[in-house]
Amino acid sequence: MSKRGAEGILLLGFLGIGLTLGLALLKAPSVSINAFESPDAQRIFYWHVPAAWAAFIAFGFLFVGSAMWFFKRSNLGWRMHVAGAEAGLATGLMTVWSGMVWGAAEWGVPWDWTDVRLNTFGLLTFLALFLVLGRQSQPDGVETRDTFSTFGLYGFVLVPITYVATRLWQIRHPGPVVGGGDGGSLAGEMAVILFIGAISFTIFIIGHILMSMRITSLEQRLERIQKSMDKV
Amino acid sequence: MTDALLSMNNVTVRRGMRTVLSKLNLQVSSGQVILFNGTNGEGKSTIIETATGLIPLESGSVHHHGELLIDKSGKAGKPKHPFGLTLQADGCMGSQRMEEHLLTAMDLTGSRIEMDSMLERYNLKHRKHDLIAQLSGGQRRKVAMLAGLIPGFTSSDPRLIFLDEPGSGLDQASRVSLIEDIHYLRGKGHALLIASHNKEFEECATHQYNSDGLVEIGHGPSPTITRENERLIPAKTSIALRTGIVTNNRTMSTLAYNGVAGFLTLGILLALVEPTKLDTGTIQRSGLILSSAFAAGLVGDNMIQLLHEHRSLAWWRAHKQGIPSSYIHGAVLGFALTLLTIFAMDLTISWELPLIGSFLTTSTMFLVRMFDLTSARLARPRAAFTRILTPILILPFALLVQWITDSNLI
Repeated sequence: MSKRGAEGILLLGFLGIGLTLGLALLKAPSVSINAFESPDAQRIFYWHVPAAWAAFIAFGFLFVGSAMWFFKRSNLGWRMHVAGAEAGLATGLMTVWSGMVWGAAEWGVPWDWTDVRLNTFGLLTFLALFLVLGRQSQPDGVETRDTFSTFGLYGFVLVPITYVATRLWQIRHPGPVVGGGDGGSLAGEMAVILFIGAISFTIFIIGHILMSMRITSLEQRLERIQKSMDKV
Repeated sequence: MTDALLSMNNVTVRRGMRTVLSKLNLQVSSGQVILFNGTNGEGKSTIIETATGLIPLESGSVHHHGELLIDKSGKAGKPKHPFGLTLQADGCMGSQRMEEHLLTAMDLTGSRIEMDSMLERYNLKHRKHDLIAQLSGGQRRKVAMLAGLIPGFTSSDPRLIFLDEPGSGLDQASRVSLIEDIHYLRGKGHALLIASHNKEFEECATHQYNSDGLVEIGHGPSPTITRENERLIPAKTSIALRTGIVTNNRTMSTLAYNGVAGFLTLGILLALVEPTKLDTGTIQRSGLILSSAFAAGLVGDNMIQLLHEHRSLAWWRAHKQGIPSSYIHGAVLGFALTLLTIFAMDLTISWELPLIGSFLTTSTMFLVRMFDLTSARLARPRAAFTRILTPILILPFALLVQWITDSNLI
């Protein structure tokens, strides 16, 4: 990929996210006032769900990268770990923030500490925050990479728990809207806007990950050059 | 291979971004004294720490007395034969008394000896009951070095003794005593590995290890030093548990850190909420009762902070006989905080809730301690932001509070 390829994909993702937001606010059909406490706030859904989808892609990347470093000592794996953590933090925060706004309008509270889905997803975001800040606090080396890869591997346990949480313990958070059975499917314009959102966030996360991997690669190159200069 | 006390086979180790040891093979037998005296950064300390299982391997394996200690997969066995270890950073907690640290080193070997003659040789007897924190750097070094030699003094069977820069900071008289002790221990059939730049150790070494590999040192016959056999005293068990209790009793660190967090939480909640106005059977009421015990646990195990001093944690980890903890004090604190909350809320006393509070503090402390221990290998473990992960404990806490509410325990 050309040097500017990642930036191009990221920009395309941003444009798609902007389009999704516009369509959600201006074009998406209104929902029934009987089904929702705050029907207007439901439009956040078109941002919230694709952001969560992108976060799961990022966490998947984080897991694969952690495993590749931990078991194969792959430098590519470490770059994937770093990129997955950074992208997971970005999209995780988007999901949590949009969910809190929606929750405050719909439930009257932004957060419920007893809801399993909210908490496990929040924890994934905290894990990403820990991995990003923690890595920046340490010099690069096998000790740093092993430790944070370990947290990345263990933390991934939260992904399937988060995914099945609303199926097993539905407390406040609604059930799945795609692939969730009879009660959870979307139709028509709503599905189209959600689909555009999912594609846009997927493009965004791919661009983010590629950019992040390139930056990590440049950091490693800089460190190698500095080390060789130290020896002179 | 079973004749060798130490076998390092094809060992590769990376530290930072550098491969420090590459396909190292080393066999050490009874009665050998191996001196590592390479230049700075050549990996002397890395060999010592790898041989004691402290550093994960990229390839190869390490065996003690023919038994696997650690291999590439990270599979690590508990050493069946105690060994002595002196780390370059001493590996002793400032909050322990000198005598306690040496008794701990003896208990790890399975038997104790009278320590006064040993202390007299190093002019330490008058400091026996002092805290290690009160000793000078040189005196602390002597204690660390003696703790490493102790398995040799207490055992008539061959033992491995690892000494990283044992002579550093020691006065001339102590260095003479140390060399005499090394001759004595070699004579007893123990194997010693010494990392040092100090030329004096060449006098007592049988082999030298440098970039060319293991080379026999061709000096004349070594002096034979005989001493009266030490009278062995039975060792005490539950070493890590005892150390945790004694150190906590002395420093009151659990009360100072976890206790203060719990009391502050209770105080703030009681200032904000009128407990008598909360309806019976509500989640808020149950949450209020357990919040201080939970906050106390979230602080984590302060023993880990104490163990970071002089790399004491690494010393304990190498011996693989447990790491001191504050669980007992945490359990008592959780019980007391919950009981205090019940009094403050003017509720009927029951034993179930304080016991749940005790369990809550201890289990929370345990999990936070796990985060700290997992990040202990980092170059800057205290800068790793592990507390960001503590929200993972809020959901279990919320579910526990929900269960208490549903169970009508209040």
